Amino acid sequence: MFTTGKLKIFLAQNGIFIALILLVALFGIMNPNFLSLGNAENILLQSVELGLIALPLAFLVMTGSVDLSVGSIASAGAVTSGMVMASTGSAVLGIAVGVGFGLMAGAINGFLVSFLGLNPIVVTLGFLSVWGGFALMLTGGKTVTRSDLPEDFREFGSATVGPLPVQIIALILAVAIAWYLLNRNSVGRRVLAIGGNGRAAFLMGIKVKQTRFWLFVASGLFSSIAGMLLAAKVQSASPTLGSGMELHALTVVLLGGVAFEGGVGRISGVIAGLLFFRVLRNGLVFMQASPFLQTILVGLTLVVAVALDSSIQRIVKNSWAQLGKKAIDEDKPDQDEPEDSSRVRLTV
Amino acid sequence: MVLQADVPRLEFRDLTVDFGATRALDGISVSFQPGEIVGLLGHNGAGKTTLFNVAAAVISASGGSYLMDGTEIPGHTNPAMIAGMGMTIIHQEPALAPNLSVFDNLFLARKVSGSRKDRVALATDALERVGATVSLDQPVETLSLGDRQLVDLARGLLGGELKVLLLDEPTAALGLAETKALHDLIRAFAAAGTLVIYVSHRLPDILEVCERIVVLRAGRLVVDDAASAFTPRKLAEALVPDVMADAFEHPQVGDEVLSVAAPAPIAFREGEVVGLFGMAGGEQFTLLERMFGLHDPFRFTLDGRELTISSPNAAIRHGVLLCPADREKDGLIGGLPAAVNVFLPWYGERDSRGWWVDNNTGKADYELARRELNILGPDGTEPIDQFSGGNRQKHLLARWMIPRVPRVLLLAQPTQGVDVGAKVDIARMVRKLARTGTVVIIASAESDEISSMCDRAYVMLGDRAQLVERGPDFDESLLSTLLQLAAHSTAA
Repeated sequence: MFTTGKLKIFLAQNGIFIALILLVALFGIMNPNFLSLGNAENILLQSVELGLIALPLAFLVMTGSVDLSVGSIASAGAVTSGMVMASTGSAVLGIAVGVGFGLMAGAINGFLVSFLGLNPIVVTLGFLSVWGGFALMLTGGKTVTRSDLPEDFREFGSATVGPLPVQIIALILAVAIAWYLLNRNSVGRRVLAIGGNGRAAFLMGIKVKQTRFWLFVASGLFSSIAGMLLAAKVQSASPTLGSGMELHALTVVLLGGVAFEGGVGRISGVIAGLLFFRVLRNGLVFMQASPFLQTILVGLTLVVAVALDSSIQRIVKNSWAQLGKKAIDEDKPDQDEPEDSSRVRLTV
Repeated sequence: MVLQADVPRLEFRDLTVDFGATRALDGISVSFQPGEIVGLLGHNGAGKTTLFNVAAAVISASGGSYLMDGTEIPGHTNPAMIAGMGMTIIHQEPALAPNLSVFDNLFLARKVSGSRKDRVALATDALERVGATVSLDQPVETLSLGDRQLVDLARGLLGGELKVLLLDEPTAALGLAETKALHDLIRAFAAAGTLVIYVSHRLPDILEVCERIVVLRAGRLVVDDAASAFTPRKLAEALVPDVMADAFEHPQVGDEVLSVAAPAPIAFREGEVVGLFGMAGGEQFTLLERMFGLHDPFRFTLDGRELTISSPNAAIRHGVLLCPADREKDGLIGGLPAAVNVFLPWYGERDSRGWWVDNNTGKADYELARRELNILGPDGTEPIDQFSGGNRQKHLLARWMIPRVPRVLLLAQPTQGVDVGAKVDIARMVRKLARTGTVVIIASAESDEISSMCDRAYVMLGDRAQLVERGPDFDESLLSTLLQLAAHSTAA
């Protein structure tokens, strides 16, 4: 059975699942068509790109870092690969260039943040602008249109394996890999250790800089792949196709209970955050809300997510602290000396 | 010179302070006259800081009374009110805003009154009285530590007469000339009627400047006498705590397997526990950090091989493991489960080499750690925060002792801030590791920590290291050796 303290912790950590159920119920009541299987598939399809970007971002945030350039990397990745495809007619070559671009963009971020120690918010905010501008300059502001893209690339956007769209399979695969890395590979423990106490992690021999570097590379890679997938789906590569994605992805990550200060996070939470975000947008479309209102609501959701993040981490910490006090009180033979003496101020 | 007045400047009557179930000060009765310079000594946890905090109204006493100039200070008094009565505390690291100017810092905590011109005159006067030659618009971060302390002191003078000056290890990081200047200043203030209470771990400093010495032990006042009645030897005796009675046998000491050249040549033999004793924050800790690769690449000889260690990762690969002194800041990861905290550095070396990790990974090692170190508390899947201080410390030690047997184990103050029972458990485990052939090195600034675990010790100060063999008066020998080294370095 739960004690009240543990119940509080459980609710704080799992509130997003409850919120998701309530949101689905709310839209369902307001418009029964919302609950159709077709709409569910629609929501999943719309979640693919954002999910591919949000999962690596979640790992970065867990280490106490962040990548705000993901949206622009998605745009630039999509148009570079689109331009290569348009000029060579080869989908494989285009995708290879897009993958290479993502790796490079991520490596630049990772090098500047991890090895030069620059502030991740500022660096990636800068590259948000750099890659956004790069995508526009490369295309002259024009979209790589349907007719310029090779047919096999366009078909890939709507391909299915059995009943499942390839895009959804890609998302499921990414979720499985992320879950494995966080929960069943030693990397996950290291990532949480780095975010929880970077100094202690370093003193344990954990390669803090290298770990962050590779997470940035992964973030760049997956952002570019997400951009290409989106281009294949909409059958064109616009230089602004990923704009705003960084906000959406960060909202998803924070809604999912990943602590912005690092050290805390779960994949199931990120998935719930992703679905919550997509359901909200999809539901608003059903209600025929103005797209401008949607933009406003996205921003508000991010702010609410940040506010929830800090109060969730506080509630969890306080509840644990109270539980801990109780545990220590019960643990009589192990009374500690006063706080005063644990300081490393010694007298000969 | 001591001005004998009828009314003491400060007086504590039967003062008692409790922190929860622990009594930090136990019935202290003592009074101090204006113009006295009093040295306040005691081990860590003896109650010096608590006494200062009561005097400055940072905490209030649980029992007894506290009087200044014969007037009782009520319990609800706050630090600002005490400061207004003419009391100033100088800490080792002054509490100034580094980015602001000297002038801004002087008036930071004060209500601004009078014109800027008046305030400049006031500030200039205060700085002159403390002998600081700094410019008013200079940012504080560009000043030396000694000058920062003087600015802090000048801040205390702005309120008018300085009645009480409390010094909390002011010379710990000062050079010889700055120390001497500070001592001259203290004497001048005392001559003008200020009561000075001086806490320092530099015994020679205390003996040089103080007229009276008060020693606290475990919250009680145990010595109160004129400084002239003390020799360093007698002082050391007064400070040696009740030594833990857990005797141990010398192991069969093996061959010399580890040697370092800097800061002084020191050799370590297989299977022995060697202490490195010195000042708080002293060279003994730096040596451990160097061996663990935290500074420049460091060269030493281990098992006949010349190693150059430049990162913790490299040190760990060679079996050189460091258990840091500050378990919360440098050791444990608060939110992670206790068992993960123990096993975290070793996932890549066991079972699946880290490719498949779950709650059972390292479980056997964790269970062993709990038995060996007698760890109490909740299950290992609970966050490490859920354990008491002593059990958290045991987890940190278990990380470096149990999953992998270290070749060289570097321990920085391994029994700090834990209760006596935990100290015994930790000492037993340390001895056991040494018997299996690990070289154990313990750095500490507390002689009893060294004497309770080590076969011999080097006393370190500056670039000197002197060997002290274990003997009946190990504690005292350590302290008096440190005093000799200190006296030598002062003379030089």
